[in-house]
Amino acid sequence: MDHASIDELIDGLADELEPVRPRRVARGSLWVVAGWVAGAAALLGLTGARHDLSGGAMMPPLPMLSFWLIVALGLAAAWSALRMGLPGVGRDYSGWRWAGLAALALPVTALLIGFGDTHAAMEAARPENGLRCMIEGALSGLGVGAALFFWLKGGAPTSPERAGWVIGLAAGAAGATIVALHCASNDMIHIALWHGLAVALSGLAGRLVLAPLLRW
Amino acid sequence: MSIDEPSLARLMAASQRGDRAAYRALLGDSRKWLTRYFARRSAQHQIDDLVQETLVSMHRKLATWDPSRPFLPWLAAIARYRWIDMLRRQRDEAELGDNDAAVGAADEAVHAKLSIDHLLALLPPRQAQAITLVKIEGASISEASRISGQSESLVKVNIHRGLKKLAQLIESE
Repeated sequence: MDHASIDELIDGLADELEPVRPRRVARGSLWVVAGWVAGAAALLGLTGARHDLSGGAMMPPLPMLSFWLIVALGLAAAWSALRMGLPGVGRDYSGWRWAGLAALALPVTALLIGFGDTHAAMEAARPENGLRCMIEGALSGLGVGAALFFWLKGGAPTSPERAGWVIGLAAGAAGATIVALHCASNDMIHIALWHGLAVALSGLAGRLVLAPLLRW
Repeated sequence: MSIDEPSLARLMAASQRGDRAAYRALLGDSRKWLTRYFARRSAQHQIDDLVQETLVSMHRKLATWDPSRPFLPWLAAIARYRWIDMLRRQRDEAELGDNDAAVGAADEAVHAKLSIDHLLALLPPRQAQAITLVKIEGASISEASRISGQSESLVKVNIHRGLKKLAQLIESE
């Protein structure tokens, strides 16, 4: 490639320029909200909400606290992923890390509870008592995952690996919040293990499956 | 024409609206800026290719610039992505044992050398030596093996690991 050919390239690019509409994070956010609502409508429409919620009552305190921690993780990860689509040296995309750190309170609490009552922990860890929640959680987050993937596919993520992780975490956290509205368990070990696994495995799937597709 | 941020941002905003004259001027200014940017980071023979690849990427991703933000950090992010991509390609070539991309170092810009030296100093010495010999000075794998006292496969492994680490260092810049 010599200087003359770069001149030709510049002429060619200028000649084929068409007006573009700048991408707005706000527009991407609407798709994420739509994906979240669609996932919730699908799961709750098929399986129904928790008995206490459908009866107009509140969740018990610990499941409610877990729910909001995971909501915060989902929002922070989705916001970070949306911002990753608009590159810029010096921009901070790390909000999801702090929310993720705060959400680690759930497995730590579950671990401490488990040490105190190993029989209950073993029981909660049996796949027949939670595998379904994990699968439903991962599937319910697909709407958010798809919205973020297509947003970033049209954007310019400068670290596809990180973007894959963050999309997966956002999707998994969205799915875990949806499944929390359906799952009747108030057991912290169940929530941390099976709902948490939906988040962790979605993150891993995002890293492995989506990252190569986000290269540009 | 001097390359200043407000002028570039105005040209970019006009380009997003479809103004071809503004876009041609923006690409010309970006080319100068990118040539300086890559001269401090890569070998002389790679600069034109990197400039060209970055201009094409810039063209494809025009809509990802937010008019409320400065232009140069956006351009720098795209340039850095293309640079990392080139390092990854080199790493993959090293994995395949292909060292055709190497050329002599005699014409390397002083700035490029300073910057590369700075990054190489952050690597373990044997990785830095393997990359310097093969990727910068143009030695073959067997020559690098003889000079460094490392086996040929170790030279390849050290190039692979070193380039991977370099990409991580640049990403975290």
